[in-house]
Amino acid sequence: MRRPTRTEARAARTAALFLLPFLALFALCFLAPLGYAIQQSLLRVERTGPLGLGGETREVWAGFANYSHALHDDGFTAGFARVLLFGAVQIPVMIAFATGLALLLDAASARWVGFFRTAFFLPYGVPGVIASILWGFLYVPGISPLHEMAHSVGWDIDFLSRDAVLWSIANIVTWQFTGYNMLVLIAQLKAVPTELYEAARIDGANAWQVARYVKLPLIRPALVLTTVFSLIGTLQLFAEPMVLRPLTNSIDSGYTPNLHAYNQAFTSDNQHIAAAEAVLLALVACVLSFGFLRLVGQRPRRPKAARRGTPVRRRARGGAR
Amino acid sequence: MSPVSTVTEPEEPGERRGTGSTVSAPAAPPAPARTGGTAKRRRAAGPAQEPPLAHRVITVSLLAVAAVYFLVPVYWLAVSSTKSTSDLFGSFGFWFSHPHPIDNLRAVLSYDDGIYVRWFLNSLLYAGVGAVLATLLSAAAGYALAKFDFPGREGVFNVVLAGVLLPGTALALPLYLLFSELGLANSYSAVLLPSMVSPFGAYLCRIYAAAAVPDSLLEAARIDGAGEVRIFSTLGLRLMTPALVTVFLFQFVHIWNNFFLPLVMLSDSDLYPIQLGLTSWQGYADRQPELYQYTVGGAFLSVLPLMILMGVLQRYWRTGLTEGSVKS
Amino acid sequence: MSIDPRDDLGPGRRGLLGGAAAVAAGLGLAGCGSDGGGEGEHKARRKGQKITLTFWSWVPGIDKSVDLWNRENPEVRINLEKVSAVNGAQYAKMHASIKAGNPPDLGQIEYPVVPSFLLDNGLLDLTAYGVERHRGSFVGWQWQQSVFGKGVYAIPQASGPMGLFIRRDLFDEWGIDTPRTWDDYEAAAKAVRKRGSWIETFSTTNGNRFAGLAWQAGARWFGTAGDTWTVGIDDEPTRKVADFWDALVRQKLVKTIPDRQNAWYKDIQTGRMAAWLGASWGDALLAGNAPKTAGKWRVVPMPQWRKGEAAYANWGGSTTAVFSATRYPADALAFALWLNTDPRSVKLLIDGGYGFPSVKSGFDLADLDVRKDFFGGQAYSEVFAEAGRGVDTSWQWGPAVDALYQRLGDAFTAALDGGGSFRSVLRKVQGQTIQDLKDKGLKVAAA
Repeated sequence: MRRPTRTEARAARTAALFLLPFLALFALCFLAPLGYAIQQSLLRVERTGPLGLGGETREVWAGFANYSHALHDDGFTAGFARVLLFGAVQIPVMIAFATGLALLLDAASARWVGFFRTAFFLPYGVPGVIASILWGFLYVPGISPLHEMAHSVGWDIDFLSRDAVLWSIANIVTWQFTGYNMLVLIAQLKAVPTELYEAARIDGANAWQVARYVKLPLIRPALVLTTVFSLIGTLQLFAEPMVLRPLTNSIDSGYTPNLHAYNQAFTSDNQHIAAAEAVLLALVACVLSFGFLRLVGQRPRRPKAARRGTPVRRRARGGAR
Repeated sequence: MSPVSTVTEPEEPGERRGTGSTVSAPAAPPAPARTGGTAKRRRAAGPAQEPPLAHRVITVSLLAVAAVYFLVPVYWLAVSSTKSTSDLFGSFGFWFSHPHPIDNLRAVLSYDDGIYVRWFLNSLLYAGVGAVLATLLSAAAGYALAKFDFPGREGVFNVVLAGVLLPGTALALPLYLLFSELGLANSYSAVLLPSMVSPFGAYLCRIYAAAAVPDSLLEAARIDGAGEVRIFSTLGLRLMTPALVTVFLFQFVHIWNNFFLPLVMLSDSDLYPIQLGLTSWQGYADRQPELYQYTVGGAFLSVLPLMILMGVLQRYWRTGLTEGSVKS
Repeated sequence: MSIDPRDDLGPGRRGLLGGAAAVAAGLGLAGCGSDGGGEGEHKARRKGQKITLTFWSWVPGIDKSVDLWNRENPEVRINLEKVSAVNGAQYAKMHASIKAGNPPDLGQIEYPVVPSFLLDNGLLDLTAYGVERHRGSFVGWQWQQSVFGKGVYAIPQASGPMGLFIRRDLFDEWGIDTPRTWDDYEAAAKAVRKRGSWIETFSTTNGNRFAGLAWQAGARWFGTAGDTWTVGIDDEPTRKVADFWDALVRQKLVKTIPDRQNAWYKDIQTGRMAAWLGASWGDALLAGNAPKTAGKWRVVPMPQWRKGEAAYANWGGSTTAVFSATRYPADALAFALWLNTDPRSVKLLIDGGYGFPSVKSGFDLADLDVRKDFFGGQAYSEVFAEAGRGVDTSWQWGPAVDALYQRLGDAFTAALDGGGSFRSVLRKVQGQTIQDLKDKGLKVAAA
């Protein structure tokens, strides 16, 4: 439906008026730092003067040297492998857990729904740093009441040992975000027209079959998007390992890519390498999440397609801005 | 866990009435409210086919086990906030030991000339003001993207969408350097400005506006001679209310929970939000051991209001989510 | 009510501030003469002109000293910004603000970190402002921590001479003598272990303490030779220390949990850990976290490598540095000197628990035995004062020490996990550190 050009121009002007404040801030807080990070990642520092003191400090072109430095750093790549393993296990577990809870709460046999839903959702209101301080106390042998209780029944487990600590972190993340994901799924479940259930009931389906064959397929869009945002959150994993690190010998300074980049910037004062690592991280996050969306045939780009999907927040794990 | 149950009570009726009606009723002209209404009749029709007792017992037991998992750490925090530093490390975590909640509370609130209160107010300021402005900006942007056809629209939308997928931590440090050059670092605006942008909010608002704000209504208003800004601020915002509530709540929690941005941006502790303040206490605790206790007590105090908010406002979260996802 | 502060000063003070005032007067000249960083923005304050200087610090209680200064010096107001010192975030911010061109005027910087600020020309060389004349007021080795080449880059504030905290009651009960040498220490570790407790923990991530132990043994991790940095982490003294602790860890005579963290506090409270190699500031830490063990602790000197020696080391401590971008270097320096030498200021800092004073007169100013009762009436600060006098003054810090600690921690952790001996850790970290410095564009060689 082609409108006259004048209207179009007017529409464009009005749209610009509405868009401008948002886009200006978006450019300032997203595009500009991204551009800056890319620029920084292509430079390195050159010093003159004895001992590097008192002389000139210049930034010179480095090409892709910082990227190659990052990719050859075993600590950095090991961190990537670690968060991918983490994601491969934690995300399915958390999503399955959230789905289970959503279906249980939605089942006709549930009672005290409001109380349970609130209880499950509460941890979302606990910031990542505080959640980690809190769980830290529950993990440390000798302090942890959980450890003490396990010990008294003859089960000695060290939550912070090298083998266990990744999954202890996974537990913190699961604790914090399951309730949120559950809420998104419930929202989608509530949107399913009642007639569908009635029809299934009349066909003789039991509660389990209704859940499995009617409800689950219907909340697929919500499952896809909660998964994508969990994926992005996982790659940004930061606050939990940072807070737990002092408590144990099992977490090194490059435990996750984000922690590695942070330490490059903040501890080692290598801004340029840190910038390259940050750009790599952003790249991987985009590739993985778009790749996943492609894989499941869901493209959030068009409003039409997205309309079917459930909106999901940006994951707010400690690291996210 | 009394706060939880008291919070939940008033919430029940709202839920039975059905999500859509609670929020969008006042604003409720055309599409938005409808789906919510139909979706929820099933519960009311329930009693006719009461599920067997065994099913109910199994379901509730499973839910109860999950509730224990989610609530135990909160319980630990509540208990620990009444302990002294030495009991924090030296007594059984799940039970009280020489509890003195009032003294601890007073100590947390008065330490360092009551800096805790200031941090709390800072957090409120960042999250409150940031979330309101983010919601308005997102609404305007989403509305424009949904309701105006202009060249480059999809391009703009895709860029915004990519913003959702960018890891925030990757941007924080360059952002700090940029802000330093602009003279903005270490100020309230250093945290507020980035908090006012929510690509996800714009994304949600676009989807919602596309569905909930009918073109015909806008045309009618235009024919009546209303200006675009007026149409948006009266008609558009009103129709988009459920989505806006959702965006506001997401952004509020997002800012409240955000650690990295203020960590990087702020150096003056007078500007700290509460999380950053608490970690700084923890950082000094090896010189001043009582700070361990203050950290735990302060954490409990800071978590309390947000948890209550979560409980009370839960149905609004759900409303926005439902509406956002159902439009068809 | 605030009059010229100089009126009510004793003679000693008068000399000191007189010096600072003289510097201020001669500043036009000094401003030009100073090195790079300042870009010629340095100014002399006009008489009567009011200025505000920003000071970043995190030391608890330092605000009291700042308040005192502000009451007495209305023309030079110090704006104290308390910065978070978690994970070294304060230094990252200082580096970034230097890069962005708007650092504070003054900053709290720990000894090991000072060189990293020299790399980005962040600190003012104070020799141009006559700082040398104050050298004699400070403990020699502490002064030396901020001297690089011919420049003096910071005013020392406090230090942390190391000592050994022991549970006297447990040692007595178990019939264990106070360890005077490291051999004694190993024997004591065995004896304690037989009783079911542990003497200590070897915390893999505590680079500061490991550096202290190497320092005591005579190591030289960093040095300068002409225009080249030398790195000697894998030197003989450090190997000796690494081997010693490697043996203790492998015999399971020490734990390997992090110290000063939750599990460690529990062990300290319960007597599961009977000693701690700490520093002077550890008194508050023990007293606060294990109040029920009051009266049972004592401080004894660090064990020696050879009987009868008196070699000690330092753990912790920091400086007040002036950033080169300050517009009023003379006033900033005057404050830095006042903060760390004025008897009232030093006393306030001591009461706040800032550490062991860097100013020689500090030892007479205030009672350093703040927790006397906790140590059963022992005048324990004498042990630390003695240690302070015996610290090897030739130890020097190099650039990127924080990164080095991180490297050490990661490598020790890997070694505990079956990745080789502690000696191999030193070899690895030596290589990494040389590479790190090269990556920063510095000339570097193995010592």
